Amino acid sequence: MATPHTLRLVTLGATALMGAVAWTWQARETRAPRRRLRPDTDVLVEAARTLNRSAGLLALAVAADSALEHARGDFHNRAMYTPLATSLLSLLASGHGHRDDAAAAHRLRDGCYLAAGLTGLVGSGFHLYNVSKRPGGFGWTHLFYAAPLGAPAALVLSGLLGYYGERVRDAAGDRVPRVFGLPAGQAVALMCAAGLLGTTAEAGLLHFRGAFQNPAMYLPVTAPPVSAALLAGTALAGPHRPGLRALSRLWLRFTTLLGLAGSAFHAYGITRSHGGWSNWRQNLHAGPPLPAPPSFTGLALAGLAAHALLDEERHLTPFHARLWRRRPAWRLP
Amino acid sequence: MDALETPRGRHGRAPDVLRPGAWLPMREYPQNEPVDFVIVGTGAGGAPLACKLARAGFSVVAFDAGAWWRPLEDFASDEAHQAKLYWLDERLCDGDNPLKLGSNNSGKAVGGSTVHFSMVSLRFRPEWFKSRSLLGYGVDWPLDWREMWRYYREMEQALKISGPVTYPWGPKRPRYPYRQHEVNGAGLALARACDALGVDWSPTPLATLSAPRGDAPPCVYRGFCVSGCSTNAKQSALTTWIPWAVRAGAEIRDLAMVGRVETGGDGLASGVHYFREGRWQFQRARHVVVAGYAIETPRLLLNSASARHPDGLANRSGLLGRNLMVQTNNAVWGHLEEEVRWYKGPPSLALCEHWNYEDRGKDFFGGYCFMSQGPLPAAWVATQTGNHGLWGQALVDEMRHYNHQVGLKIVGETLPQERNRVTLADEHDQYGLPVARVTWSMGDNDRRLVAHALDFMGRGLDAIGARDIWSEAENTCHLGGTARMGFDADSSVVDADCRSWDVRNLWVCDGSVFPTVGGVNPSLTIQAIACRTADRIVALAARGDL
Ligand SMILES: Cc1cc2nc3c(=O)[nH]c(=O)nc-3n(C[C@H](O)[C@H](O)[C@H](O)COP(=O)(O)OP(=O)(O)OC[C@H]3O[C@@H](n4cnc5c(N)ncnc54)[C@H](O)[C@@H]3O)c2cc1C
Ligand code: SF4
Repeated sequence: MATPHTLRLVTLGATALMGAVAWTWQARETRAPRRRLRPDTDVLVEAARTLNRSAGLLALAVAADSALEHARGDFHNRAMYTPLATSLLSLLASGHGHRDDAAAAHRLRDGCYLAAGLTGLVGSGFHLYNVSKRPGGFGWTHLFYAAPLGAPAALVLSGLLGYYGERVRDAAGDRVPRVFGLPAGQAVALMCAAGLLGTTAEAGLLHFRGAFQNPAMYLPVTAPPVSAALLAGTALAGPHRPGLRALSRLWLRFTTLLGLAGSAFHAYGITRSHGGWSNWRQNLHAGPPLPAPPSFTGLALAGLAAHALLDEERHLTPFHARLWRRRPAWRLP
Repeated sequence: MDALETPRGRHGRAPDVLRPGAWLPMREYPQNEPVDFVIVGTGAGGAPLACKLARAGFSVVAFDAGAWWRPLEDFASDEAHQAKLYWLDERLCDGDNPLKLGSNNSGKAVGGSTVHFSMVSLRFRPEWFKSRSLLGYGVDWPLDWREMWRYYREMEQALKISGPVTYPWGPKRPRYPYRQHEVNGAGLALARACDALGVDWSPTPLATLSAPRGDAPPCVYRGFCVSGCSTNAKQSALTTWIPWAVRAGAEIRDLAMVGRVETGGDGLASGVHYFREGRWQFQRARHVVVAGYAIETPRLLLNSASARHPDGLANRSGLLGRNLMVQTNNAVWGHLEEEVRWYKGPPSLALCEHWNYEDRGKDFFGGYCFMSQGPLPAAWVATQTGNHGLWGQALVDEMRHYNHQVGLKIVGETLPQERNRVTLADEHDQYGLPVARVTWSMGDNDRRLVAHALDFMGRGLDAIGARDIWSEAENTCHLGGTARMGFDADSSVVDADCRSWDVRNLWVCDGSVFPTVGGVNPSLTIQAIACRTADRIVALAARGDL
C-alpha cells in the first residue's frame, strides 16, 4: 500500500542504494589512475564516443516520448512526425559513432546531429506558439498541460552532445584540444551543466504538477542541479581541486543511476494509475512518462566524459605550461 | 451480495472501498450500552465528525439509510443505473416553485451526497459570515471567518484538493495541496468568455486527485462524477472520512434508517430507533448528532416530538424546518462552431467567482459563481426535453450538437425566508414514517440575482461566438438552512458549536445549520464546520462541559 510512510521509506532506500552503487563504481575507477605525459588520442576518442552514447540516450528518450505524446495528439499536424524522424537519425548517428574509433568527425553524423538540434529548437518555438495562443496565455494551466516547452529541448541537447562529440574527435590530434574556443573538457562540462539545469527545470515543473506526492519526486530536482554546480565548478576551478573533482564525479554517477531509477519509479507510478499496467494503452499516456528520466543519465554520462577530458587536460598541464606561454588561451579555432 | 439488500458493515468488518473485495476490521458496539456519540447520516457533515470524534477516543456509531457501495465494483458507466445513489424516497414538494428533489440535491448512501457530488470545493467569502452587518442582508453567522479559514485549510489538506496555484478572488490563501486539473474544452470556453467580459476566471478547486494518493488513482477524466466515480479519484466521504473513521474505531451501520430520536424523562436524548435488517432496533447513546441534510434532519427532529418536546426536538424557537434555502442553478447554453466535447473530465473544470466578490453593479443581495458545464448525454437529453419539450426527430437533431455544446451555470445564493420550510406530511413512507413536505418559493431578490446572472453569462457566450443561445430559467441545487446556527436560543436552533439550545446532548452537523448559503457550493464549508464541531466537543469534554 502506497502510504506516505512506505513512500518515504522507499525513497530513502533507493537513495541509499544509488549512493552505494555510485560510491562503489567510483572506487573501482579511481583504483586505476592513468599516468601519461603526452596527449592521448584514445582518451579523446573515448570521450567522444561517450558523448555519442549520451546523445543516443537522449535521442532514444525523445523518440519514445515524442512518439507517445504526438500519438496522443493524433499527429494532427504533420510537423509532429519531425522530432520522431530526427531523433531516430540522431540515434543512428550515435550508434555509428559508438562503433567508430576514428579521430575525426564524420560529416553524416554531424548532419544528423545538426538536424536534431535544429528540430528541437523549432519544436520549442512551436510549443511556445501553441501555448501563447491559448486563452489566458502563459498561466500555469498551459505550462502544466499544453505542449511542454521543455520536451523539444531534450532534442536540442541530443544534437548538441553529438555535435560536441564530433568536435572532440576533431580536436583529438591537436596538442591543445579545444571545442568552440574553450578547452574541450571545459566546453563539454559547461554544456552538460547547462543541460542538467534545463532538464531539472522540466522535471521540476512536471513534479510540481504532480504535487511531489511521492518524496522520490524531489530527487531529480535536487541531485542534478548539485551535479551541474559541481561539474561547472570543476571545469572553472582549474586542475588543482582533486577533492572537488572526485565529489563531482560521484554526484554525476549518482545522477546517472537516478535517471535509470527514474524510469523504474515512473513504471511504478503507472501501476498507481487507474487500471495500472493492464490498462497500459491509456496509462502510458496518462501516467508519468517512462522515457523522460534517462535524459539525466545521458547528460550525467556526458558529464563523466567531460571529466575524462578534464583529467586529460590536467595530466597535460605540466606538458603544456610551456606552450601556453606562447599561445593565447582564448583563441578561436 | 446486493448492497441495497444486505448491510455490508457488520460481523466486525467493513468494506475496504479502495481495494476490490477487501475488508477492514471494524469495531462493533453493543446496543444496550450507551455509546458516546450516535451520528445520523454519514455525508459531508456526519463522516468527518465520526472520524474526528473516533480519533479523539470517543465511542462512535454512525447510521446511514443508504448502502455501502464499493465504487470499483458497484458503479456502472450508466447514468440511469447510478440513480441508485440518490435519495428518491417520497417527499411532497409545494410552494410557488416546488423543488425537484433527487439527483441534483440529495444522496442516500454511506458518504451521503458526496458520493455523487461534483467535487467543487470552494471557500465562503469572508464577509458572508457577517452578511447582515457587513453586506446588509440575511443574518450573521456566529462563526469568525478567520477561524473558518483555518478549517478550510485543514479540509483542503485532508482531501488533497486539486486547485490553481493562485486563486484570483478573496484574501490570499495557501497553495492547494494538489495542482489544478487540465482545463477541458468547456472550461476554456468559459475562460474565453471571461476574457471577453473583462473578469477573472480560474481552474476550479476540485476534490478529485490530479496525482495518485495512497491507493486512489488520479482522475481519468471520463466525466461520470455526478453518477458516482468508479475509480475512487473522487475524494468523497465514502473514500476518505469513512475508512479513516473505521480505522479510528468508529462503527458505521449501513442500510440503517433512523426514525426517531428518543428523549428521556430529563428531556435529554437517550438514543435512536433505527430500522435495519427488517426490524426496528434501539441504540443507546450519551449524545446524538443529526446529520441527514436540510430535509431529513428537520424531518427526523420533528418526528421525534415527545411530551417534553411537543413541537419536535430542538424547536423552542419555532425555527426548526424554517429558512430552507436552495442555491439557484440556472444556466445559459449555446453551441460553438468547433468541437468542444464538454463531457470530458469533471463537469466544472473552470469557474468565475467575480460576482461573489464584486458588490458594485448589482441590483440584488448575495452572490453567485458560474462554472463550465459538461452534462452526460442522458442528462442533456433531460435538459432538452424538460426545457424545450423536444422529442422524436427534433430531439435527435438537437443531440447532434452535443459535442459542440457549451454552457455556463450558476451556483446562486437565495435568501432565507421563514415561509420556506420542511414540515411533516400526513403520508407515510416505506418505514412507516411521515414523509417530508418541502415548501419553497423564490423571493424577488432571488429572481433579480438569476436575471443578472443569465444576462451576464449570455453576454459571455455571445462574445465567444456561440449560437442558438438560450437560458434555463428554472433549476436549483444544494440545500441549506432548516436548523440554523445562531447567537441565541430565540433566533436559532443550534449554537456555534452545532449544539442544540434546548436539548444539550443533541447536535446538528450538516448543511442545515447554515444561516445563509452564499454563492458557492457548500460541502467544503459543511466539512469545515464538522471538524470545528469535533474540536469544540473535545475542548468541551476536556472542560467537563459536555
Ligand atoms: C449532484 C450533486 C452535485 C453536488 N456538487 C457539489 C459540489 O460540486 N460541491 C459542493 O460543495 N457540494 C456539492 N453538492 C452538495 C453536497 O454534496 C452536499 O451539500 C453535502 O453532501 C451535504 O452534506 P450533508 O452532510 O448535509 O448531507 P449528505 O451528504 O446528503 O448526507 C446525509 C446522509 O444522511 C443520510 N440520512 C438522512 N436521514 C437519515 C436517517 N433518518 N437515518 C439514516 N440516515 C439518514 C442520507 O442517507 C445521507 O447519506 C452536490 C450535491 C449533489 C446532489
Ligand atoms: S472524471 Fe475523474 S472524478 Fe469524475 S468520475 Fe471520472 S475519474 Fe472520477
